[in-house]
Amino acid sequence: MIEIKNISKSFGNHKVLEDVSHVFKQGEMNLIIGASGSGKSVLIKCIVGLHEIDEGSIEFDGRNFTQMGFMQRKSIRSEVGMLFQASALFNSLTVEDNILFPLQMYTKMTREEMLDRVNFCLNRVNLTNANFKYPAELSGGMQKRVGIARAIALNPKYLFCDEPNSGLDPRTGIVIDNLILEITREFQMTTIVVTHDMNSVMETGENILFLHQGKKWWMGNNIDILQTDNKELCEFVYASKIMQRFKNH
Amino acid sequence: MLTALHQIGQYFLLLNRVFKKPENLSLYWRQTLTEMVSLGLGSLGLIAIISFFMGAVVTLQTASNIDSPLIPDYAIGFATRQSFILELAPTMMCLILAGKIGSNIVSEIGTMRITEQIDAYEIMGVNSASYLILPKIVAALMIVPLIIIYSMFLGVLGGAVVSSYSDFSTMDKYLIGIRWKFTLFSIIYALIKTLFFAFIITSVPSFFGYYVRGGSLEIGKAATKSVVYSSIAILIINYILTELLLM
Repeated sequence: MIEIKNISKSFGNHKVLEDVSHVFKQGEMNLIIGASGSGKSVLIKCIVGLHEIDEGSIEFDGRNFTQMGFMQRKSIRSEVGMLFQASALFNSLTVEDNILFPLQMYTKMTREEMLDRVNFCLNRVNLTNANFKYPAELSGGMQKRVGIARAIALNPKYLFCDEPNSGLDPRTGIVIDNLILEITREFQMTTIVVTHDMNSVMETGENILFLHQGKKWWMGNNIDILQTDNKELCEFVYASKIMQRFKNH
Repeated sequence: MLTALHQIGQYFLLLNRVFKKPENLSLYWRQTLTEMVSLGLGSLGLIAIISFFMGAVVTLQTASNIDSPLIPDYAIGFATRQSFILELAPTMMCLILAGKIGSNIVSEIGTMRITEQIDAYEIMGVNSASYLILPKIVAALMIVPLIIIYSMFLGVLGGAVVSSYSDFSTMDKYLIGIRWKFTLFSIIYALIKTLFFAFIITSVPSFFGYYVRGGSLEIGKAATKSVVYSSIAILIINYILTELLLM
């Protein structure tokens, strides 16, 4: 479980997050949604420590991340896996080496054990025969799968996904979403997904946090979201005219 | 002025992160060997061509400017050796490497920054500054002095080839010239300078690459800036070290 309390973050005079509090539950798909510029990506980067917060606190299973020193944070980070918006695979390394990297850095496994783990992770994301390919040789969906495989290589307790289906067609996007959901349940991870894709929200949204202008505006699940009368959320969910007509019916 | 001071401060803070204890020595060492190959072997061809022809031209220029009968012919070889060992090989070659290696480093680290690969290292708990920059600095400190010795040899060789077919001198006199009053300290002096320059030509571009913001256009601008700042730093350090070591 990850709990954020009263988080605020500014860049210069621009306040990006204001007094955001929320609990992200273990074993569930926790979604952060909102329009572009609402502070979703900044929030996830604050939680993993890529941005320092101005106020508030972040707790990983009761461990206060904000008050930790460099070495303590490092130990928390060994429990964290992250899938980036553009996958952020290491371009100069093959798929196998990308997944091997965290294992080589942090474990004392033998080479054979590491390769077994790599193949397990690749099988888990349904990607085979790609071990020796470079990221540039893979499709967007395959890159996301490798990103997930690398993120779960160290068997993390916390998984963060920043727009996991951006740049993918709706069908592949759903496949990736379901894969993240399956992995979350299988390994009982606390998973936080930032998205503005409504397909993802409807498919996997178990615990949704809606941000508007840097503030927590609404929370609920994918059933609640269809029944909400929150004006800003409705404008976000039913953005197109055809969706508005669908809602009115 | 304030921006410059801010950047200098940021550079030293980055160096402070770079020289933290590595997480996994064997991975860092492997990365250092890779960097030695890419920084060193990739530059050998360019350095060979430049050194050889520069040595030849220095020999020709010296010969054409000596018209006093009081100056012996072997002074041509002596002048070529001294100018190459003391200045051209360490300073000029490092200025050239600052352009070649520097722009490579900025584009490599800068691309990693804008594609979030550096963030990925950080999330894994890896000290990205150290993992990406320290192997480059160590590799350069090990390989650039060898490149400079290679450049010295080729520069003097270029002069020897010119003097062997030109009519202003003979090979024998050239060989006497390059051995005349030779002291090992000249080489040591050049290598001391090289170590400082090697540090500059890797750490300055790494700094500009690491803190790049934006897209590919900004990477290009950062590469240009890094070459300019590295070159200025090399020239200033060259002056200071010459004052300290030779005066």
